[in-house]
Amino acid sequence: MSSTMWATTSAKPTPLSAKASSRRSSLCIVRCSLRDLRDRISSVKNTQKITEAMKLVAAAKVRRAQEAVVSGRPFSEALVDVLFNINEQLDIDIDVPLTRVRPVKKVALVVVTGERGLCGAFNNNIIRKAEQRMEQLKQLGIEYTVVSVGKKGNSYFQRRPYIPVDRLLESASLPTTKDAQAIADDVFSLFVSEEVDKVELLYTKFVSLVKSDPVIHTLLPLSPKGEICDVNGVCVDAAEDELFRLTTKEGKLTVERDTVRTQTTSFSPILQFEQDPVQILDALLPLYLNSQILRALQESLASELAARMSAMSSASDNAVELKKTLSILYNRQRQAKITGEILEIVAGANALA
Amino acid sequence: MTLKLCVLTPNRIILDSEVKEIILSTNSGQIGVLPNHAPIATAVDIGLLRIRLNDQWLGVALMGGFARIGNDEIIILGNDGEISTDINPQEAQEALEIAEATLRKAKGKRQVIEANLALRRARTRVEAVNVIS
Repeated sequence: MSSTMWATTSAKPTPLSAKASSRRSSLCIVRCSLRDLRDRISSVKNTQKITEAMKLVAAAKVRRAQEAVVSGRPFSEALVDVLFNINEQLDIDIDVPLTRVRPVKKVALVVVTGERGLCGAFNNNIIRKAEQRMEQLKQLGIEYTVVSVGKKGNSYFQRRPYIPVDRLLESASLPTTKDAQAIADDVFSLFVSEEVDKVELLYTKFVSLVKSDPVIHTLLPLSPKGEICDVNGVCVDAAEDELFRLTTKEGKLTVERDTVRTQTTSFSPILQFEQDPVQILDALLPLYLNSQILRALQESLASELAARMSAMSSASDNAVELKKTLSILYNRQRQAKITGEILEIVAGANALA
Repeated sequence: MTLKLCVLTPNRIILDSEVKEIILSTNSGQIGVLPNHAPIATAVDIGLLRIRLNDQWLGVALMGGFARIGNDEIIILGNDGEISTDINPQEAQEALEIAEATLRKAKGKRQVIEANLALRRARTRVEAVNVIS
């Protein structure tokens, strides 16, 4: 099918034209006209412009997401300070609803996904992690319910009615305190009304511009010291805050992660508590819950943007490659047509002469 | 003599300025704080925070949190906060009506808890808009 039409082309295939010749054969079957090739080249060029623009937009948004994390730091630092000091001053074991540890019969999973697609394997990774966790819980005989945040997760769970879903939430482009509050309210009422005994947060942790990790953190029950616990019980002290910072190193965008040990200053010793310790902790722990959820949302957004950046970057590169191949194809065909016409004219001239 | 006031929420700093006096709503009532106040730590309720700067009162709708007062320095950590000038009065009123309707329709312990919280927040925002200046 392939070789007869292209007998005039060079016999020895180069690596590029080897690829091109296999494409040529498949293209031949579909369309061989110059006009179609030209249309195809211009459409690939437009697509490349779009993917390039999407990559730049995602890069700009990552910077904004990073600024949002940085502007949330004064709050978390002050909160950690206060929590630490209050714990030192109150030695008695306090029973606050949010720290009550109950035997676990039902778990709520808060799954954070993205709003839009075209971000590579981002949404898929977190959903797969959620499925794994649900499988684990089923084997342990524990029931579960899902609170899904993000359109992509919502549509996934909506299409699977066999998974018990509690609430589907959506958030706007940059996560605000109101979004975190909505999730916190939901989770709070689920936990306090004893419908669930444990709440876990599944989000994507931002490791670097090319790597992100879906993680599971236990949100409730909270530990009064303000520790965040992993599913395996590994606890990270809240006084060590991890921060990621987008900077440029040698002209390329990189991410630096620091661990900041917040200095806890001691309170004035004559500090009086206006209410009893239970009420004070009751007010502090929801603040901690909110800030944790907001941090998770912000990290998830940053991971999504980084994934989109890298996906669009490779899409742009592929588009450039494809355009090159198609252009070569186009030129070869154009030259073949011209050669054909010349041959006809010369043959005609010869016949007359 | 002024107080240094810092109102922080998880995603931004609402206010960071010198004020003359503040009135804070806590679980055990309202507290007025003037310069040289004794150091106290208190839980803040969902309510209005009134601030006086140079004989002008400003309102901030606070959605609960914690406050620490000492050395003429006040740090308020809130779940969320809005300065009264940033709130749209009509939108706040509509939100209040929606919250009231949701509470009437709420069934079951969980929905009632959520609806109550939403109602208190909406009410605070409406109050903030009506602060006497």
